[in-house]
Amino acid sequence: MKSVIKAKGVVKTFQGGKKALDEVSLEVGKGEVTVIMGPSGSGKSTLIRTFNGLESIDEGIIEVLGVELDSYHDERKVMRIRRRVGMVFQQFNLFPHLSIIDNITIAPIKVQKRNKEEVASKAFQLLAQMGIAEHAMKFPSQLSGGEQQRVAIARALAMEPELILFDEPTSALDPERVKEVLDAMKQLANNGMTMVVVTHEIGFAREVADKVVFMDEGKIVEISAPEDFFSHAQNERSRRFLNQMM
Amino acid sequence: MKFIKKNLNLFSLKRWIRNKPVDFIVTMFLMLLILWVATLIVSWFILEANWNVVSDNLDLYAIGSYPADQKWRPMIWMLSLSTLTIITLTWRRKGILQKSLPWIWILMLPSGLVLMAGGPGLIPVASHKWGGLALTLILALSSAFIAMPLGILLALGRRSKLAIIKYSCGIYIDSMRSVPLIAILFFGQLLIPLFLPVEFDINRVVRAILAFAVFAAAYVAEDVRGGLQAIPKTQVEAAEALGLNPKQIAILIMLPQALRTAIPALTNQAIGLLQNTSLMAILGLVELLGISRSLLANPNFMGRYLEVYVWIAAVYWLICTSMALLARRLEQELDPNILTIKSNEISN
Repeated sequence: MKSVIKAKGVVKTFQGGKKALDEVSLEVGKGEVTVIMGPSGSGKSTLIRTFNGLESIDEGIIEVLGVELDSYHDERKVMRIRRRVGMVFQQFNLFPHLSIIDNITIAPIKVQKRNKEEVASKAFQLLAQMGIAEHAMKFPSQLSGGEQQRVAIARALAMEPELILFDEPTSALDPERVKEVLDAMKQLANNGMTMVVVTHEIGFAREVADKVVFMDEGKIVEISAPEDFFSHAQNERSRRFLNQMM
Repeated sequence: MKFIKKNLNLFSLKRWIRNKPVDFIVTMFLMLLILWVATLIVSWFILEANWNVVSDNLDLYAIGSYPADQKWRPMIWMLSLSTLTIITLTWRRKGILQKSLPWIWILMLPSGLVLMAGGPGLIPVASHKWGGLALTLILALSSAFIAMPLGILLALGRRSKLAIIKYSCGIYIDSMRSVPLIAILFFGQLLIPLFLPVEFDINRVVRAILAFAVFAAAYVAEDVRGGLQAIPKTQVEAAEALGLNPKQIAILIMLPQALRTAIPALTNQAIGLLQNTSLMAILGLVELLGISRSLLANPNFMGRYLEVYVWIAAVYWLICTSMALLARRLEQELDPNILTIKSNEISN
């Protein structure tokens, strides 16, 4: 299987000396869904943010889609990666001054220099796929959290990425809105999208993930298939975490 | 009469006096005071004030000593400015006019300059003949027009990652803000000509505009910086994750949001700038205040200070209030919630 992400010995130290990532190595294959779990402060968000260069690293090498990032943090390489990698955030981060359709089309038009009409029709198609086509002309503040997050997914998809990073996509949602976003993500996974998902949604991990990565204190503690991880986790810390979650 | 009886119920008045005598006395005293002052003002307006110092010189207040045979030029400009203001404030119907309003506003300054100074088909009129309200407006609009982009660049510069840009913008802003405006105006009017060779003469109006602009830019920069700081860091991250480059992030994501947040503060600056143009009266430009001062020096109108100052206060009030209303209109126009309603109307 072709690998999309290959991280080797990644170290990231925050100002003040706290090690956010401590010798992390991880490989993500094409078409794979990888779920990263762990207690807060375990470095899972930091890790996922190094994959598209939102965080620089201090040691090690990350190869994303054949582009290598190291501690030098070459801006041009970062840009090359970002053009092919989508990201969905916890707080949606839609642009409040742009309509939904503009939110989705701005990057394909400005970054990929694609044709406006073609991008717009693609955007409408994506919104329909997300079940929110009727909101295309509205502004983000008019949509519910779940709808905004689906717009954010559509925005990431509009760039036709080869990999999408999800950073706790359902943590800021009302419980009754979580399902609609998870359903959209499942649909993506079924279509063969490569995804790295930081989440606490055990049901999602069980159903969709190809592997579960458990992190604690900046280290990867365990990498298992979901059925193994949730029934008999190998590691003591994983078990303790799962006990608290379930 | 029924209404008055109901409200001036004698019984309750008695009860008021008995229960709260101090309250009653203070109220009565203040009412008498207000009445007395109001009577004084009204009787001054009607009996004592002699308004011919205003009515005889309306042209002077409007355009100063602009050549009489060309006076239609500034007059037409100011007339279209006020018409445009009224249309902008009252016209709510969506249509071609509504969409072209911003462009018409932007065209107002160049068209004003051409009308005043002369251009194709118009006899040139030297700027030392400009005056009155027309000059006040030209000074304020032109310097605002320069100060805005300059201020935005300074605000972005102050957030730059490059230390040299960051610190030079910071030093510029801080030093401009620590110098009084009048000092900068003096510098522009009196000192710059001393440094330049004699044949190299920049005219006084241009020097004044530049002085106002470099001063106001520092304040604009701080207002815009305030707007930039109000944008959550996550907005930048989202834009970066989409692959937008720093320039695109600044222009497409940061500035539109920052400027909207900064509108109230920028309105303050604009109103302040318009009022500050009156400082040029001390430095010999005959803008609205300057022309008033020279009128007061005319033996025919000796000692009519009150009439003249009440009159120009009213003019300044009218202009500043219109500016405030226009700014509020702009704010409404850019409010995302209202934008949504509009786009709903379109899609339905």
